[in-house]
Amino acid sequence: MRLSKDRIGGLLLLAFCIAYGLLSQDIRLLPFQENTAFHARTMPEILAILGIGLSLATIVFPGSPETPRFAGYNWITCGLFLALMSLYGFSIRPLGFLLSTSLFLMLGFALLGERKPVTLVLVAVPLVVAFWVLMTQGLDVFIEPLPTFLRGA
Amino acid sequence: MIEGIMIGLSTALTPTNLAFVMMGCLVGTFIGMLPGLGPMSAIALMIPIAASLDPSAGIILMAAVYYGAIFGGSTSSILINAPGVASTVASSFDGYPMAKKGMAGKALAIAAYSSFSGGVIAALFLLVAAPFLASVSLSFHSTDYFALMVLGLMAVAAFAGKGDMIKALLMTVVGLMLSTVGTDQTQGVPRFTLGMIDLVDGISFLLLVMATFALSEALMAILKPKQDADRLKEKNASQNLGSMAISRAEVKEMAPVIGRSSILGFLVGVLPGAGATIASFLAYGTEQRLAGPEKGKAFGKGSVRGLAAPETANNAAATGSFVPLLTLGIPGSGTTAIMLGALISYGIQPGPRLYIDQPAVFWAVIVSMWIGNIVLLILNLPLIPYIARILAVPSRFLLPLILFFSLIGVYFVSFNTFDIQLMVIFAIAAVLLRFLDFPMAPMILGFILGGMMEENLRRALLINNDSWSFLWERPLTLSILSIAAACLVAPFLTSQLRKLKKQVYDKAGEGG
Repeated sequence: MRLSKDRIGGLLLLAFCIAYGLLSQDIRLLPFQENTAFHARTMPEILAILGIGLSLATIVFPGSPETPRFAGYNWITCGLFLALMSLYGFSIRPLGFLLSTSLFLMLGFALLGERKPVTLVLVAVPLVVAFWVLMTQGLDVFIEPLPTFLRGA
Repeated sequence: MIEGIMIGLSTALTPTNLAFVMMGCLVGTFIGMLPGLGPMSAIALMIPIAASLDPSAGIILMAAVYYGAIFGGSTSSILINAPGVASTVASSFDGYPMAKKGMAGKALAIAAYSSFSGGVIAALFLLVAAPFLASVSLSFHSTDYFALMVLGLMAVAAFAGKGDMIKALLMTVVGLMLSTVGTDQTQGVPRFTLGMIDLVDGISFLLLVMATFALSEALMAILKPKQDADRLKEKNASQNLGSMAISRAEVKEMAPVIGRSSILGFLVGVLPGAGATIASFLAYGTEQRLAGPEKGKAFGKGSVRGLAAPETANNAAATGSFVPLLTLGIPGSGTTAIMLGALISYGIQPGPRLYIDQPAVFWAVIVSMWIGNIVLLILNLPLIPYIARILAVPSRFLLPLILFFSLIGVYFVSFNTFDIQLMVIFAIAAVLLRFLDFPMAPMILGFILGGMMEENLRRALLINNDSWSFLWERPLTLSILSIAAACLVAPFLTSQLRKLKKQVYDKAGEGG
């Protein structure tokens, strides 16, 4: 069997649907609810069956025979961006909005090829400050700007 | 009615209220353009300001922000394929390919004219048919709503290309599955939360849409950077948006689409629960079907009809959603639900008595919809070249900025850093599925309809004493379900018919 794009996707989604179906059995039901026509498990069970059926159909009757090609893509840069986004999520509270966002943007620009440190700072910092001013002063949304150690008690 | 219009005009045309309409449209357009900040957050942000105004001015301001945000959402959909507003997701299917071809100006102009026409036509319907349509939507049972949701999901077939129908249906089911995460609405039991407290409230729609569209689009661009020739082409496109003029042939092509989509959008908007997003997807699907097999192939590649239909329908539905709000006191969408809260805080209870007790508020809202749409057209058309400069920003700066706006837009709604981590996970899955050519739009549609569908199915079974017979016993439900089945079967039948025709022609050719 040729592993086309459709088949790989079908296999991945089949695994997801099976996991979903198994987890649906963990949904707690009160004893009297088990005999009712509709309870918290009904929809998930129907969806799991539909999902497994359609995944199998995708594997058996793929729409296109095209196989995936992994060469020629910037997998490392993409992975670094995913890690950067995750790090940004972890840093936004302890480092504060201004510092964490400026660092996120500067590292992002650098990852995509901007090499001049002056440009990195001149693009990122004013933009972040302007955004912060707009949100806090213009739209009244409070965002903690400073790192934890600089905040007043 | 004439008297009412006069009351509305005298209220809406006061200099202060006109200034609020203009301000609302501008602020709404700006907020709607930022990926992640949609009409709901825009209106929510306006509530403190609106609270200090008199009720008519407050509602006029919020309605203007609403339209502005929808318009702004379509601008970011077209230019950077990052729909900040769910109802403009369908606009990106053809708007973005047009922008990539160097026709961003034309795409934005089509969006502006379509939005304007949809809004104005729907406001006319609202004026004439509001009481009648309200009574019609009152007669809808939960069984009919359930059938309507099924029809909405079957319209997913319209998104599928040749041989991709199973994949589109599978992605719809995945969307429905994701909608079941969180606390079950009826029994209050947690489902698929994996013991995490952050998942108890379910997955935010905004989070899912930003991760699967904006984040994955930016990550795909990082994965496969554009060739120098492509980059040059895009830079030229941004410097010269191309003509914003629409040819006579295009107007001819758009006019019937606008007519049909206005009616469809308005009717969908009137139904409580079914809002601008469903209207835009339905209009897109309907037009693709009506275009036939040849012209239908152009959809998704920069079709004028494919852009005009959702743009008209979403504005018409936004107007339509005011019908249940103003005449029944039932919000037709999440956005009008926020408006309902604001009205109640003014001490105004929307319902059948609103236009008797508070005629100025009732009519001013309707009249301000026309004014708002005119203001949007007048303000935004000249501003398009400036707005579109966003394309001129080099991708090494633009891509991290898109990632930032997407992450921060979602973070600002919940202030929960878990949401950022969840977005990263969804973005990985979306990139993988896009890499394997699995469509994302059906998943979003499934996710939107999932909760409502389950609720209506449960209610339908409860009313019918746990019997599934409602599916075939109620004529309206059966009719809607039959149309849904036809949507599913029609593509197979037409392809078989085409094959048969080809065989007959071939045989005739051989014979001759």
